[in-house]
Amino acid sequence: MDHAARLLSAPSLMVDQWRAVMAAAAAMLLLFAVPALAHTGSSTGGFVGGFAHPLFGPDHVVAMVAVGLWGAFLGPPAIWLLPIVFPLVMAFGGVIGILGVPLPGVETAIALSAVVLGTMVALAARPPLWVAALLVGAFAIFHGHAHGAELPPGADVVAYSAGFVVATGLLHLTGIAVGLLARWRAGRIAVRTAGGVIALAGVAFLSGLG
Amino acid sequence: MSGFVAGLLHPLVLPAHVLALLALGLLIGQQMAGRQIVSLAAFVIGLAAGLTAIAFAVGQTLAADVLLAVAFVSGAFAAMARPLPALAYALLAAIAGVALGLDSPPETVSIAVATAMLIGTGLGASLALAVIVAGTSYLFGVHEWIWARIGGRILGSWIAASAILVLALRFARGQLF
Repeated sequence: MDHAARLLSAPSLMVDQWRAVMAAAAAMLLLFAVPALAHTGSSTGGFVGGFAHPLFGPDHVVAMVAVGLWGAFLGPPAIWLLPIVFPLVMAFGGVIGILGVPLPGVETAIALSAVVLGTMVALAARPPLWVAALLVGAFAIFHGHAHGAELPPGADVVAYSAGFVVATGLLHLTGIAVGLLARWRAGRIAVRTAGGVIALAGVAFLSGLG
Repeated sequence: MSGFVAGLLHPLVLPAHVLALLALGLLIGQQMAGRQIVSLAAFVIGLAAGLTAIAFAVGQTLAADVLLAVAFVSGAFAAMARPLPALAYALLAAIAGVALGLDSPPETVSIAVATAMLIGTGLGASLALAVIVAGTSYLFGVHEWIWARIGGRILGSWIAASAILVLALRFARGQLF
């Protein structure tokens, strides 16, 4: 069978789950090994600057992790579809932001994304895949818009963008790694609790406390 | 010799070149093994044409933007993992080769060193693409490791997202084309 044709078949989580957990855990370690840099408006260029940028906005971080958690809860194909689709949709939002096209209520929508996605995880909601994709995709546009509008002038734009996208993806993988704990009873409770905490953090962002 | 080594490493140190080679390699690696050689050959021919053109001092071109566009298209199709006509792979590879060659002007006044750099660039880019294609093909096809295929698709989407962001930024700054 053609490689490409094989790729069309929905993968199963039954294959090498442990390797997946280990790979995601490695991604988490890589994530936390990044040196601390300034947040928004940073003119730090290059891969490291782009990589650090999404990590220093707590509202972005919790929402990205929630996407991963929810993907893990929903199971295949959502678990692997979300990290593929989200960066592309987010990039679309980023393009809008870069081009200066105004989008109303960006910060509110970002905070709301933490509330909604966290609640979905806390309730272990399992809507149809297209509903989940639509919801996550809609929020991705707002996240991308905020990041796109904040891209610094100068520096190495290619490396910066690559770092920025990779960091966002690794946040998803972090959420997925934690979300995979839901296979066990205690882990399921822990993941749902994490969703609740994310939702509460979103409420705090909405109310201006975060 | 140093010119040759500098040329050899040139495609591996420029982020736009790395993105394009990675995305194209992922895409070609998803092809059937027998057809991959055609795409690789198209890349090498295009690269040779691009390097020959730059050797004859072609002026400033759109090569960098075209490379990013190739990275976007290749990354997006690699993420979708939908089979394309064989001609599309070869065409994309040829365009990438020409653009990479045109975007690799040797920064030296010595003809001998410049020639060595161009040869090195040709060899380095061709080898890099061949290694990525071989690695992708091996992980996707031989081992049947499902997570490698998913990882490849995720990487493709990340590259496409990065490339389109950069193209948008260059457009916003009036630097595109």
